[in-house]
Amino acid sequence: MPTGRLSSELILSALLVGLMGCSGDSAPASNEVEQSPADGSELTVLLDAGTVGAWPAGLDPATNTTAGFNLTLMNAVFGGLFQLAADPEGSNPRIVGVLAEGYEITNDGRTLVIHLRDSVRFSDGTPLDAEALRFNIERNIAAPCACAPIRWPWAEENRVVIVDNLTVALNFSRPYSAAINGLPVINVNWPASPAALAAMGEDEFRVRPVGAGPFRIVSNQLSSRLELERNPHYWQAGRPLLDRLVFQSIASEQAAYLALLAGDAQVIEGVTSTAIIEQAKAEAGLTVTPQPPTAPYVIQLNTSIAPFNDARAREAIYLATDVEAIRQGLFKGWYPAAESFTGPGGLFHAAEVPGYARHDLDRARALVDEIGGVEVKLGTLQSFVAEQVVTALQSQWREAGIDVSIETVDIGSLIQALRSREWQALLQTVGSYDPESGSGVTLRFGSGQLFSGVADPALDALFADAASATDMHDRDALYTTAAKHISDNRYAPFLFAFSPTQIVTRGVSGPGLTTPIPPIAINTAVHWQDVSLHHQ
Amino acid sequence: MRFAARLCLSVAPVLFAVSLITFFAIEVLPGNTAEQLAGVNATAEQIERLEQALQLDRPPWVRYGEWIGGAIVGDLGVSLANRQSVVSLIAERLPVTLALTSFALALALAAAVPLALISVYRPGGAVDRTVAILSMTGLSLAGYVLAPLLILVFAVQLGILPSIGYVPLSDDLIGGIRSLILPATALAVPLLGLYTRFLRGDLLEQIDSHDYMLAAKARGIGPWRALLRHALPNSLFGLMTLVGLHLGALLGGAVIVEQIFALPGIGQLLLQSVNLRDITVIQAIVLLLATATVLANLTVDVLYAALDPRIRHGRA
Repeated sequence: MPTGRLSSELILSALLVGLMGCSGDSAPASNEVEQSPADGSELTVLLDAGTVGAWPAGLDPATNTTAGFNLTLMNAVFGGLFQLAADPEGSNPRIVGVLAEGYEITNDGRTLVIHLRDSVRFSDGTPLDAEALRFNIERNIAAPCACAPIRWPWAEENRVVIVDNLTVALNFSRPYSAAINGLPVINVNWPASPAALAAMGEDEFRVRPVGAGPFRIVSNQLSSRLELERNPHYWQAGRPLLDRLVFQSIASEQAAYLALLAGDAQVIEGVTSTAIIEQAKAEAGLTVTPQPPTAPYVIQLNTSIAPFNDARAREAIYLATDVEAIRQGLFKGWYPAAESFTGPGGLFHAAEVPGYARHDLDRARALVDEIGGVEVKLGTLQSFVAEQVVTALQSQWREAGIDVSIETVDIGSLIQALRSREWQALLQTVGSYDPESGSGVTLRFGSGQLFSGVADPALDALFADAASATDMHDRDALYTTAAKHISDNRYAPFLFAFSPTQIVTRGVSGPGLTTPIPPIAINTAVHWQDVSLHHQ
Repeated sequence: MRFAARLCLSVAPVLFAVSLITFFAIEVLPGNTAEQLAGVNATAEQIERLEQALQLDRPPWVRYGEWIGGAIVGDLGVSLANRQSVVSLIAERLPVTLALTSFALALALAAAVPLALISVYRPGGAVDRTVAILSMTGLSLAGYVLAPLLILVFAVQLGILPSIGYVPLSDDLIGGIRSLILPATALAVPLLGLYTRFLRGDLLEQIDSHDYMLAAKARGIGPWRALLRHALPNSLFGLMTLVGLHLGALLGGAVIVEQIFALPGIGQLLLQSVNLRDITVIQAIVLLLATATVLANLTVDVLYAALDPRIRHGRA
């Protein structure tokens, strides 16, 4: 549900960046200052009002339909059973227990056993035990919310079983070893206090939910401002390092950047504008941390209707698309080219796919002539990056003789087009840390899926097997085969693996802010319990 | 009593028409609240479940009928997106917008009146030409262009005012005023240009075309006194009308300015609600704005009558 961007934003951005450039300091960015965190430290974090900074349905995990976007808020309030962590330079990404001590995959991948830490308490002082977790998971599944984990292959009976006071088993109808990698982005990961829910009622709980995360809510103005304070019952001694944390929604990256320079905030999460990132890199007082890309941009083609029910038209799109020109021209080569649904920051990454149809304008023109012309409506969601890319694609495809009209829509219009099955081509992102989770590969390529343009039982079987396999080598081989299958059938050309960038002021440090962690969904999930602010 | 009766007669049909048009305008927009809320990862089944939960699967006229029935008895309902009371959502945001628009209006008027007066003191002179250039520049500058420039100068370079956020005046009067200076200025400058140009023209018309100004000069009254005591009070009628008619534009500008400065006002709530197709919140805000516009124009009429005995006694 992105907000509409001001039409003048691009011009204004160029103007302001130019103005600021005149006074900018060209010293390199630096942040690692070893001091102890300041007492009474407070951090203000700016979030894009159109995506991660919109929480219109509130923050109750069972009803927050935008929780996948709001990972940063959800992790600050609810902590998370598990989070994605990485080594300081961003390598070796792995799922680690936070409120949970660990997990086991048993019963040939049909059961995920979650072991809770002893003595974890919600911020109202009540315990997070197996019964509280079971209550939450059952409530989440039953909720009439798009955030409900109903895509998981739950067992018909005994789907959530209490093993002992600190252990819960999740049972599936078939092996589903991908569950653990998908868990940090769904509502099951954020248990809420059953006692607080009962005391407040559902409606109030949407606004002031109680979790077991490092912070608790002081005030919550939906999609505008969330003020948090340290949770005195947090399980980890000495954490969180901050006393207060404020999330402020802001309409544009330009406004956010100016607020950072003015000292009115210390962090901007998920910056996508190349002009802003370049400018920030030249500012001595700022630290810029790009995240390892996990989600490639893909041009989805609707293979069920003309023109893309003809494989030649799909191949013409592959051949007419000059990925290198877009990478260099729009993004200075920052983001690596992609030929499948994985990025270098995620699992099962393959940089190249054998037999992939790369840019060849002459062949594209010949195919378009052979078909007798191709007319395409190319759509995308309103976003700074996507709108730049579709404009470039329109220009490239026209060179191949393809007649292209572009349409930028909001999420409601997009869903209507998808439901009617009348769309032709869409620029989207696909995949995440694990191809199965988040805006996963099944969602984009599975038969019968709302967001898919493909109906191919052979591909469905490959994805199902890959999600089930317990051996990582087997999963890798299956996803490699699936990527080649997509390429061979020219189902959807991939562009580049994209990831947003974190910009913070000097003195702020923490995992996911000043050290890279691959984005597990839209943005990196910051470990707020470990974030600190050192006064300079 | 007459005023109250007139108010009800004026407002009721306007509000009914506005509510009907708004409801069906939102209805024909692509997407509904369930689709907007469901997001990019939802399945078709999840969207249908959400539509049923929000009762969006019922015909639009049934939903409108239910809403208007509630509105007549003062029940504006709850937000479709988050089940919060619409009245409480608006009550939380209204003070911000009221403070912003009042401050902007006061700034614009406080600057426009003296600027127009010094312009007409010597029409065509250097001061008049300078004010003309300034007011035309102000008139041409959209709030969303001016706002980032103000932030760059006063927040980033000089560091004397905050770039974002709102401090409630009740919590901290000075902090609240500081948080409103830049957004109110961004909103006021285009209005200032308009008011200055209008008032200058009207003052010149008073000076050139009315005998009472000639008579004042003949009586030896100085030019400043003639302007202030005779021309200005007459010109203020036109300015008041302009302010009343421009209330809608002022509130429209506030929507954009609130976004840029991250002010949690009605404009921001309206924009968020339109994006979500959250019809109950949209309806309530649109009705509030319509009521404010009608009230402002009625107030102008009443002030006319209070200031001009000819109108009061039906001789104008």
